[in-house]
Amino acid sequence: MTTQSLTRPVARLTFARAGRWVRKNLFSSWLNSLLTVVTFAVIAWVGFSVIRFVLVSADWTVVEANRRLLFIGRFPKAEEWRIWPALWAVMAVGGAAYGRWAPFARRDLPVIALGLLFVFAFFAEGTAALLVGVGVLLAAAAYLGGRFVARDERRAAVASRLILIAGALLLPVTVVLFTVASGVRTTLWGGLLLNIMLASIGIAGGFALGVPLALARASTMPVIRVTATTYIELVRAGPLIAWLFLARFVLPDFLPPIGPIADLHIVARAMLVLAGFTAAYVAEVVRGGLQSLPHGQEEAAQALGLSGFQTTWLIVLPQALRAVIPALVSQFISLWKDTTLVFGLSLLELLGASEAAIAQQRFIGRQAEVLLFAGFVFWLVSLTMSRLSQRIERSLGVGER
Amino acid sequence: MAGANESASSYPEPSPTGRPMIVTENVTKWFGDFQALKGITTSIAEGEVVVVLGPSGSGKSTFIRTLNRLEPHDGGRIVIDGVELNDDLRNLEHIRSEVGMVFQSFNLFPHLTVERNITLAPQKVRHLPRAEARALADELLVRVGIPEQADKFPGQLSGGQQQRVAIARALAMRPKIMLFDEPTSALDPEMIKEVLDVMRELAASGMTMIVVSHEMGFAREVAHRLIFFDEGLLVEEGTPEQFFEHPREDRTKLFLSQIL
Repeated sequence: MTTQSLTRPVARLTFARAGRWVRKNLFSSWLNSLLTVVTFAVIAWVGFSVIRFVLVSADWTVVEANRRLLFIGRFPKAEEWRIWPALWAVMAVGGAAYGRWAPFARRDLPVIALGLLFVFAFFAEGTAALLVGVGVLLAAAAYLGGRFVARDERRAAVASRLILIAGALLLPVTVVLFTVASGVRTTLWGGLLLNIMLASIGIAGGFALGVPLALARASTMPVIRVTATTYIELVRAGPLIAWLFLARFVLPDFLPPIGPIADLHIVARAMLVLAGFTAAYVAEVVRGGLQSLPHGQEEAAQALGLSGFQTTWLIVLPQALRAVIPALVSQFISLWKDTTLVFGLSLLELLGASEAAIAQQRFIGRQAEVLLFAGFVFWLVSLTMSRLSQRIERSLGVGER
Repeated sequence: MAGANESASSYPEPSPTGRPMIVTENVTKWFGDFQALKGITTSIAEGEVVVVLGPSGSGKSTFIRTLNRLEPHDGGRIVIDGVELNDDLRNLEHIRSEVGMVFQSFNLFPHLTVERNITLAPQKVRHLPRAEARALADELLVRVGIPEQADKFPGQLSGGQQQRVAIARALAMRPKIMLFDEPTSALDPEMIKEVLDVMRELAASGMTMIVVSHEMGFAREVAHRLIFFDEGLLVEEGTPEQFFEHPREDRTKLFLSQIL
């Protein structure tokens, strides 16, 4: 951009230029013109219908009245205070990470705008608004903090480590916060909260288990390799819902009769299944990454005297994982939506809660509003994950090619 | 690297001390049914520069890859600086940190900066403190003539620069022996010289070097001894003069007639 402006005046968007662009790209031929007109007509009609529905014909009181149910299910009101610190922590770490690694880009604007719209649409009044406001302020402050430390290399390095440690602690701290000191039994977790907890544990567990599985499958030791391969192929041979049903009805008979393990809550069993299921797919994705590495990388590491573990940890894995970020994230997005399958365990996650709301006598015939809301939430989270992966890819891609 | 551009004859020729650095006895190597090495016996002295020649598939690359056990040999003995290369892992790790290797395709780590490529092994294997490792990297980058590239990633450098970083990376382990496996074969012609210059300087500093290469000018000028491989056998060895002017074996004569 800078070099361009040195050689010629900054081009202005004029009507003439816009006209040329339109003619060249939208009306270059008879067929192109027809396609343009039809496409625009369809877009306009769909857009108009959606906007009319959302703003005029829809009655959002069904969502408003069931806000609690949709967001946290049967989480007891008296224990709600446990959620807010966890939410704040997530927002603060997220804000700091965003500030530290990814200075605000215009392409992130739609996601942020949608997120804020979401927040204001549902938490605009009362204590909830105040508490969410605290979170937004925390996130903004953390973002500015992240921007500030990013300017100095040494501070940025320390901050990076702190943010990563904090990020890794988010999930365990949240679980402890929910359950500690006669807290909320997992069976009472519900709504969006349950989807988020299930997906987070599924992703964290699936990744932590999947990477070693991939390495095991690539191992030269037959026992390890065959065990890993058997596990992966077995898990992938069954649909997730079947494994969830097995976890509900069969797993209890196979658990060792040791203290708390013997009677695992149904939610803990669902988490186990989601993590184990995701691990098998992550393992295959990561194996693809391992195979894509030229053999010379390993040889160079060995020739320098690095041990087998160091070679894997410092040379092979970082490159293999970077190569498969898109496939990994798409696996995680798919897991995020698969969390709805726990309805098979009669758990009240967001979609189950939506159905419960629809079934209420006073909201008969309001399926569209509730399902649109649930769909919007799933889409928003998926979009965020996808944007996040693009960001990570780009910042890790520095210097490649 | 100042001075490396001058011809090698301006250096005092470092004479090998005679202390054997590498001794191989009847080394054999099989790939399935194919015998790549059919009993290689030779000895390379400290400070000696040996250029290994031969047609492709002659076993020359396999031979130098057995010297740091990237290819485990199937028979015979290899002794590096008094330590035998065998299944003993401690020997292997010791030898690998004493023997530097430079590959045809550079094999730099693309996800690490140039500096990190160089400091990684000294820090992780030699347990050098980070500041010392960095100082060492800076010093080596000056030595190979690219001091300003430390913070770049390998993908941002030219082929010649990458190969010089690879040499610096190997030197960072302070090896007693350097192996070069066709170090200039993947380079564009105009970049070959910058890499050979670094190697000349290294040879002049007294490093024990084994170089698989087709660079006849380099071989003639820098090598103390040439070794000629064909079909898994060490066919002939001698000084550059003997080798180029008075080859004894027919296969050597044929090879020289094809490449000169």
